[in-house]
Amino acid sequence: MQDFEVAIIGGGIVGACVFSELTRKGVSAVLLEGASDVSNGSTKANSGIVHAGYDPLPNTLKARFNIRGNQLYPAMCARLKVDILQCGTLVVANANDRAGLETLYNRGLQNGVQGMRIIERDELHQMEPNLADNIDIGLFAPTGAVISPYLVCIALCEEGVVNGGTVFTNFFVDRIEKSGEKYKIFARADTTQQENLASGGMHSTTKNDSTMHIKNAENCEKMQKNNENCCVTAKYIVNCAGVGANAINALVGAPQVPISYVKGEYLLLDKSQKGFVNRPIFPLPTKMGKGILALPTLHGNIMLGPTAQPCEADDTTVDDEGIKAIKSKVVLSVKQPNYKKVIKLFAGVRVISGDDFVIEHMPNTHYFYTAGICSPGLTAAPAIAEYLVDEMAKDGLTFKPHEVVSRKPYVCTADMSKKALKELIKQNSAYGKIVCRCEKITEGEILDAINSPLHPTDVDAIKRRVRPTMGRCQGGFCLSKVIKILSDFYNIPPENVQLNGKNSEILTK
Amino acid sequence: MIKTDVLVIGGGPCGLAAGIGASKTGATVTILERDSRLGGILMQCIHNGFGLHLFNEELTGPEYAERWMEMLKKEKNINVICDAFCSSLEPTATGYLATAYNSKNLVEVEAKAVVMALGCREKPAGAILLGGTRPAGVFSAGCAQKLINVDGKKVGKRVVILGSGDIGLIMARRLVCEGAEVVGIYEIMSQSGGLARNITQCVQDFNIPLHLSTTVTRVVGKKRVEGVFVAPVNEKLQPIKELEKFVPCDTLLLSVGLIPEIEIAGELGLEFNPVTNSYIVDEYYQTSRAGLFCAGNVLHVNDLVDNVSREGLRAGECAGLFAKGGLDTRNKVEITHDEHIKYTAPKYFYNTKSGEFQVSFRVDKNYKRTIIRAMSGGVEISKRPAPAVTAGEMQALKLDKSKIANDLHLEIEVME
Repeated sequence: MQDFEVAIIGGGIVGACVFSELTRKGVSAVLLEGASDVSNGSTKANSGIVHAGYDPLPNTLKARFNIRGNQLYPAMCARLKVDILQCGTLVVANANDRAGLETLYNRGLQNGVQGMRIIERDELHQMEPNLADNIDIGLFAPTGAVISPYLVCIALCEEGVVNGGTVFTNFFVDRIEKSGEKYKIFARADTTQQENLASGGMHSTTKNDSTMHIKNAENCEKMQKNNENCCVTAKYIVNCAGVGANAINALVGAPQVPISYVKGEYLLLDKSQKGFVNRPIFPLPTKMGKGILALPTLHGNIMLGPTAQPCEADDTTVDDEGIKAIKSKVVLSVKQPNYKKVIKLFAGVRVISGDDFVIEHMPNTHYFYTAGICSPGLTAAPAIAEYLVDEMAKDGLTFKPHEVVSRKPYVCTADMSKKALKELIKQNSAYGKIVCRCEKITEGEILDAINSPLHPTDVDAIKRRVRPTMGRCQGGFCLSKVIKILSDFYNIPPENVQLNGKNSEILTK
Repeated sequence: MIKTDVLVIGGGPCGLAAGIGASKTGATVTILERDSRLGGILMQCIHNGFGLHLFNEELTGPEYAERWMEMLKKEKNINVICDAFCSSLEPTATGYLATAYNSKNLVEVEAKAVVMALGCREKPAGAILLGGTRPAGVFSAGCAQKLINVDGKKVGKRVVILGSGDIGLIMARRLVCEGAEVVGIYEIMSQSGGLARNITQCVQDFNIPLHLSTTVTRVVGKKRVEGVFVAPVNEKLQPIKELEKFVPCDTLLLSVGLIPEIEIAGELGLEFNPVTNSYIVDEYYQTSRAGLFCAGNVLHVNDLVDNVSREGLRAGECAGLFAKGGLDTRNKVEITHDEHIKYTAPKYFYNTKSGEFQVSFRVDKNYKRTIIRAMSGGVEISKRPAPAVTAGEMQALKLDKSKIANDLHLEIEVME
């Protein structure tokens, strides 16, 4: 049984920010993730926008943490060595809606958003040549930005691990007991009874050692044989479980938060459509949300969405109504996109609790919980983490300052100069072997991803890190190669290689 | 730096032939192949039926490729580099500069002429806006073909196939032979886009249900495919929701179309045809940029590999001639056509008043009886009765330049 000061439940963006914040302050922390990889829920399937902060109503937690999060992002991305596209964001409207746009502008001023301006037709259409003809005015917010939400989340977790933190994946919390000053946190038995070693992921220590992962999995197996459940102890718990917030609260007797789930569906277009829009284009927001956007992704694709459909907690299906809604609404802001260039449809679930975030400390305990971290949650997450860690300090948590270790960024051969790539291939021939031709990903990059601090084990986890199967053929050419690399590395049969966690084997026996 | 007269990008059926064609002109040739061996997709096509037209034999894919590899070996001027991924192609003052790399090195290749022989890729589920969930068990047909035929793996036990193009039909038979159950092939159109012989030999002979005018509407399953919903479509190809039904399966294979792999020349501003999703060529298979040639499946998706080889051979020969001194490009004529014809390749020819050239084209839908006609200067210069013309099958017409005036128009007369 391993003991920690703080256990964070949930490896989405909020949990990852808290984990990084704590480990950089020298706190012994464990992050518990129920899925096979971090960033596997709402964090992987949203617009990836760092919002400027003109949307939330003043004096809400959303406004406060949005503004602060927006300020924190550029330095955080620099520290994590991940890219951020400082392109600004644009809300567009026709002349009749000038009042609505001005309301938004004034709200932004009240919230403290810097540098906003209302842009008139000529300049607007010059900035964005593919706006719909009837668009006359726009609110430009230069502090809005685009990131890769899953890459930021993964980078934060990696930073936490290289700074002494521990991440357990496939650790689905289903029981919490109080034992003296400590919480005992148990994983659901079946989540740790893995048949193959490659799926029992427990990642710790500062060593970037590929065997560590397997050793941890073996430990887990030994525990199974000794009839012990996988269990960790911690003095503090932070519930960052997203869609599972209430389930975790129930385990410690914390109150149930009123929660609803709203699905957001997206269409992702091929990189050949780059330049269709140069920054996120929002329609004027309504009571239903921020509307259907067209935006560039960090990697140069174009994305359309999201819809806003009430749904069940685990419903990430894309349905016809959603596709129709995107098609009919996106053209209110921009010209007709080329739907022949769609390469992927996906959906994510937002967790909504009333009009604001829920961020609480359960009185007389060391239990903290978050819920309803919907938009602008991605932007707010670093600020929420900063706040939570402050609150934990007030509750007696002490820090042990140490020199913060940088995480190692992923090599990207596609962005390298010819000279640099030539040199790299000489050092390591794996960087000359193309695996994914659409995104130009080499075997070297995939091995780097496997050897990264969290030791991802499945195809989607590799995809989120270095992008094979993410391109225009969606794995038609490279899927079999990625399966082989994973199977060779972990020394498991190819039939045991999974797409995204348990029971998602790609091949059959 | 490698210097060569002709650079061929791609070592599949088109590239093999292009290399040979170029070498025969006396040009020096470099072939860049991204896989560890030549042959391209042929190497995973272990079924037979290749080479019926060129060799008068029914060969398997690897056998057909081997014939060309043997011919290639006899050529002295060809340098083949395998495992070499060509990452960029830039124009220079004297031709083109390509960058390629493999596990040994990054090399630059300077060439006077380039043949793009890059083939095509399969459309993913997103391209047909297929909704539902995103579990394991959804494969493009070619990906499944590689996993089964090359890697020796199994992709599923109970399989639904969407799309009845040739790859879909061939994979249906292959899966049955590998012990899987093929629940059905679903085709949104009212007829299969595959060759008639494949419908007989792959589907009918194996009692595999082929559902026409029916499509898969969404995928179901959280971790692994648990089934798909299928529905018949109306005349606008829209699914009829009320008739939607669930088909349990653990695997979905997609054979929903191919897209030419044209990205290498994406920034060169070549004249483009949205119908083929590729570049427009003249009778030498030359694009709108001198010295840059394009043939085979990267030009337009062919039904028969024999045609791909033929095109490659001619493109390579013309690239060689270009590199050695030039091609006669006087009297450029645009080939026009009526509404039954979707496109022609080439789109231009040079009226030198002597010699022959071949025009390939596809029609918009299936016709029972037609006459294909070429008109020039207001008179009929060629005519061919063509019974059972299908949208999937490539048509070809050989034309004698001495009969052509200053225009050329292709027509299909439909006989009811």
